[in-house]
Amino acid sequence: MRMGAVLVVALALVVGVVPQFSHCKTASPMGATAATSSTAPAGGSTIAAVRAAASASTTATPMRCYWSARAEIGVALPLLAGGVLLFFSRRREARRALLILAGTLGAVAMLLPTVLIGVCAQSSAVCRTTMLPTLLAAGGLTVALSLVSLIVNELRAEDESVAPQLAG
Amino acid sequence: MRIRSLTGLAFHNMAGDKLRSWLLGLCAFAIAAFALSTALVVHGAQESLHLAAARLGADIVVVPRGAETQVDGALLMGTVSRSWMPSADVARIATVKGVAVASPQVYLESLSHASCCAVSNMFVVAYDPRTDFTVEPWLRQRLDSDLGPEQAVGGSEVSVPVNHNVMLYGYTMWLRGKLEPTGTNLDQSLFITLPTAYAMARFSRTNAVKPLVIPRDRVSSVMIKVAPGQKPTSVARTIGDVVPGITAIVRPQMFAAYREQIGGLLRGMVVVLGLLLSLSLAVVVLLLSMAANERRRELGVLRALGATRGAVMFTLLAQALVLALAGGLAGVAVAAVGVGLFHTLIAAKLGFPFLFPSTGPLVAQVTIGLALALTAVGLAAALPALRISGQEPAVSMRE
Repeated sequence: MRMGAVLVVALALVVGVVPQFSHCKTASPMGATAATSSTAPAGGSTIAAVRAAASASTTATPMRCYWSARAEIGVALPLLAGGVLLFFSRRREARRALLILAGTLGAVAMLLPTVLIGVCAQSSAVCRTTMLPTLLAAGGLTVALSLVSLIVNELRAEDESVAPQLAG
Repeated sequence: MRIRSLTGLAFHNMAGDKLRSWLLGLCAFAIAAFALSTALVVHGAQESLHLAAARLGADIVVVPRGAETQVDGALLMGTVSRSWMPSADVARIATVKGVAVASPQVYLESLSHASCCAVSNMFVVAYDPRTDFTVEPWLRQRLDSDLGPEQAVGGSEVSVPVNHNVMLYGYTMWLRGKLEPTGTNLDQSLFITLPTAYAMARFSRTNAVKPLVIPRDRVSSVMIKVAPGQKPTSVARTIGDVVPGITAIVRPQMFAAYREQIGGLLRGMVVVLGLLLSLSLAVVVLLLSMAANERRRELGVLRALGATRGAVMFTLLAQALVLALAGGLAGVAVAAVGVGLFHTLIAAKLGFPFLFPSTGPLVAQVTIGLALALTAVGLAAALPALRISGQEPAVSMRE
């Protein structure tokens, strides 16, 4: 179980740290959303207007991946705390609760960049090539690890409950 | 019953020495993961080049002399070619004997993070709708019409949804459809007609952050369809003789630099796989020899009680094969998920495109990777198993 706790801590660090260095930071508003007709300027706009828009776009407009990366900190911190508590936990009921929490947080880590917030639309963007797969892999591993640890925890709990009966 | 008890013995032995079991599983994991990763990357890259060549649909591609790698890079990786050839060459190429169709293409790129471009650094292929055989046949088949002005077709990975507008250089176009994936940069490219490209260039002078410049009377490449019954190699040679300053590349030689790079990677990977396999086999033989030696008396007693030589071999092989199966399954799962998730990053780092296989070929490659791990560990385990099971029970128990 301690090995599982160490792995949960390591995965929490991956979930919290990697996105902070692999989001696209800022870009033009249209680059973020792959402009549709609603975002297209009127046909007769002048060079001055376009250049003004360009300079406005360079004033740090956060993209979706930026917010996903920020939100992952909120997932990583409780996951990290859960991993540490799991390491020191002696009671199987407590371990059960911590593992369920870790599994749920792993699922949320996957849902943030895919469903809840998302990442940039452009497939070659760094958030799509690095951040998204890392979070999916780390989140998936957290869920799988929690499930396996939960099963092991329950099986051990059964053994421990049978042993005193036999002794008695 | 007998088999169940022998299998139980094998499982008991695994649980008895956890470190040895972990090491054995790790060897199978490494073999399966590395073999599958190699197969996925190399086969995916070859498939990608094949699909890209098929997508272009040309028997011969004519490019400015010295720009062969640039044009390959433009089509496969999106590094835009700055080389041009006179558009007058198109008419000269079209008159060469054996040429059925000669269609020019112009390669462009959208601006980086500019408010006038919906997608940054997007590769754009402008083609001549009168002669094109790359996009137009697909359009007629799927959409039942040609591409009109202010219309575009995208690769499978273009981020704009179909039937939405896409704006480049302040010029808005209607995305009419998306092509099938190739794993190359063509998947992130936009296909437009030459009149649309020239209209976009005119429009960009007043509506873009930076105007789009298409040199007058210049094209990036010419796609050629050879007439039925003609040999592409001889037609390419004739084109090279008739038109100066160009290189005519036949389809099998397209993307030659990338094919060489993939070949080099394959050779390197095979050498590493060979080393990994040898090392893993040596470790497996050593581990199982140690395990068999430690259990010599136990196995001797088993033989003395009436167990056959085959039964003793079975317990030893079952232990190795169960661990190899567990390690191999974990290895193929990690390799398939890892390569699948990070395939864009891997392609960018390796410097050539590759397409993640569809379910059928993926299952075949996973099976091969798993079979390799099982066969390797099984063969390595057979050596100590044969040796120990062949010993006389009395000798085994006495030693």
